[in-house]
Amino acid sequence: MSSINELRRLPGSQRGARQQNKAAFLFLLPWFVGLFGITIGPMLASLYLSFTDYNLLQPPRLSGLDNWTRMLHDERLHKSLGVTFSYVFVSVPLQLALALGLALLLDKGVRGLPFYRSVFYLPSLIGGSVAIAVLWRTMFGTTGLVNEALGLFGIQGQGWISEPGTALSTLVVLNVWTFGSPMVIFLAGLRQIPTSLYEAASVDGATRLRQFRSITLPLLTPIIFFNLVLQIIHAFQTFTQAFVVSGGTGGPADSTLFYSLYLYQRGFGHFDMGYASALAWLLLLIVGLFTAVNFWASKYWVFYDD
Amino acid sequence: MLSPFRRIAIGAVVSLSLVLTACSGGGSSNAGADLELSDKPVTIRATWWGADARAKLTNDAIAAFQKKYPNIKVEGQYKDWGGYWDALATTTAAKDSADVVQMDELYLASYADRGALYDLGKAKKIVNTSQFDNEALATGQVGGTQYALPIGVGVLSVVVNADLFKKYGVDLPDDKTWTWDDYARIAKELTTKSGGEIHGAAGAPGFDAGSLKYWARQDGGDLFGKDGNVSLKPQSLVKMWKFGLDLISSEASVKASTMVEDQTAGITAASLATGKAAIGSAYNTQITALQKAAGADLRLLQMPRAGDTKANFFKPSMYWAVSSQSEHPAEAAAFVDFMLNNQEAADVLKTERGIPANKEMRGHLEAGLTGSDKAAVEYMNAVTPGEAPVVTPNGGSGIEPMLQRYSQEVYFNKTSPEAAAEAFIKELQGEVDAAK
Repeated sequence: MSSINELRRLPGSQRGARQQNKAAFLFLLPWFVGLFGITIGPMLASLYLSFTDYNLLQPPRLSGLDNWTRMLHDERLHKSLGVTFSYVFVSVPLQLALALGLALLLDKGVRGLPFYRSVFYLPSLIGGSVAIAVLWRTMFGTTGLVNEALGLFGIQGQGWISEPGTALSTLVVLNVWTFGSPMVIFLAGLRQIPTSLYEAASVDGATRLRQFRSITLPLLTPIIFFNLVLQIIHAFQTFTQAFVVSGGTGGPADSTLFYSLYLYQRGFGHFDMGYASALAWLLLLIVGLFTAVNFWASKYWVFYDD
Repeated sequence: MLSPFRRIAIGAVVSLSLVLTACSGGGSSNAGADLELSDKPVTIRATWWGADARAKLTNDAIAAFQKKYPNIKVEGQYKDWGGYWDALATTTAAKDSADVVQMDELYLASYADRGALYDLGKAKKIVNTSQFDNEALATGQVGGTQYALPIGVGVLSVVVNADLFKKYGVDLPDDKTWTWDDYARIAKELTTKSGGEIHGAAGAPGFDAGSLKYWARQDGGDLFGKDGNVSLKPQSLVKMWKFGLDLISSEASVKASTMVEDQTAGITAASLATGKAAIGSAYNTQITALQKAAGADLRLLQMPRAGDTKANFFKPSMYWAVSSQSEHPAEAAAFVDFMLNNQEAADVLKTERGIPANKEMRGHLEAGLTGSDKAAVEYMNAVTPGEAPVVTPNGGSGIEPMLQRYSQEVYFNKTSPEAAAEAFIKELQGEVDAAK
């Protein structure tokens, strides 16, 4: 929207401005079609469906709040929430810490920086793909690469992905491994910090650690905040990895039953599309709530330098 | 891969259009009694799940069909098992279903009860069913209406790797008399004699609906009763899981985590096929694929027995059905008839979709079969099945993943067999009730 306002402020006659507005709307038209046809329309439809009993094959029947009250007693839903929350709360901080750490290292002026940047960024591009999930399944299997590596040190491995106790951890590792995209954003943020600040600090005799705590971290908080919001939203929606690694079951013993995987099972495994729509909206509410809390809390720790 | 949200979105758009069209009424157009084949050019779509090998054979059969009916063009579409059901559900919801659909026993009632399948009784003139046993036809009926026709039949069997038995000096059991105790003892013997190199059993019961059905029928029960409710007794489940737990804890079988891995890897990459275990369970028709993957002397044995009950059963491996949305039910029915009753089609398709349920075609093929195909047919002829099981009721189509989930809970010692049995039956009945 801001670009439209800027267009308005452009110098020239009123008529010329109107002409330009028209052109702008014309260019935006495909985006509007997408927004209303593919995003908002179906979203509203699914909101309606969340109050119905709908099995895909017969027309939906209104069922009031049934789907919503059913959530209270749905043990698998509670289990999937547990899995998803522990995944978000463990993997996102770990991933951001790793991303920041490597960004700091690379920012020190490593030779061949573009090369490292690309190499570290690569997992972010492919980490959510089916191919990587398949690779993960093989790597962490009983006869996988991980156990062979452990075997070199005389450690007896186990089926990491097929034991309920460790299956979720392997997916956390997979998410942490895709630290590349927050790292690139951190790198850009680090470049924004004026070097004069560091020079002044070292003249005053501040240690490296002190400089990091008093200059780097405060000035980087907007970037940390941005990454945090983005990665939390992203982590809540995890689907592909869990689907492929567990063959769509969320197993072993529901230990990788991610929220969106459960939603998928209800909708397409049980033809329970009304309930699945309600679940989708619950997820939207949860993610929305988290983002709102994040924004509210940001007042207390994010430092904007304007 | 489409995210579930995208899929929900598609479902939502589809349903919105349904709501709109629902107002305009418009019942099914194929209510007429006598179907007649048109002589004008007609295009129908046929869809199935399966691998490339099946697609090649099916397309060859389609070519033969088109030669016989030059005015009918058949477009074939195929997917893998999981994607197939997603696509079938969404296209059916969008009233854009293929004319001819391959059906599975698990989903038959779900689709038939919701009016998505065509009553083949109305196509009697076109589809000949004279070569099918009544038991076979019954497997395609829901509420007395013939919604689907079985293509092939499979029977549960024990598969043993005779090479491994020989290597470790263990005698093959006499499968006419053996019991589950013998099974456990022999499996343990294999593990011990191989010094832990291999495990005796490749799995434990409870990872497929077939094995549970067998254990239930052994006790004189079944999974579902004639009234369409769960009739499974908790004791049968408990017995089955206790047997599995004993296999695992005595190391007669592979570990529970290996079973989980095998399940995702698929039958041709699992422990039995890779030679890490010597005894497994499969449907007799899977022997060909298993043998190919294992490259060893695999043999089919009768299932162990508990008492005199005839627990084994003929499982329809899959069906052909016609969609109630088809604009050309006559031509679709003609295609089904060709695939099931035509010798030319049988010569192309052979036993890839199971041993033909059509007796004439089975006899016709039997003469020419060799190797594992022959073994599969001989095995089936040696089985005396019990009463045909009831078709899985609407809402029961999710039984397999549900069973796997509870079996994993039990085999990883997260819950007791007794508690799991109770919870499983309650959850399954809940799904059936919800779909009523």
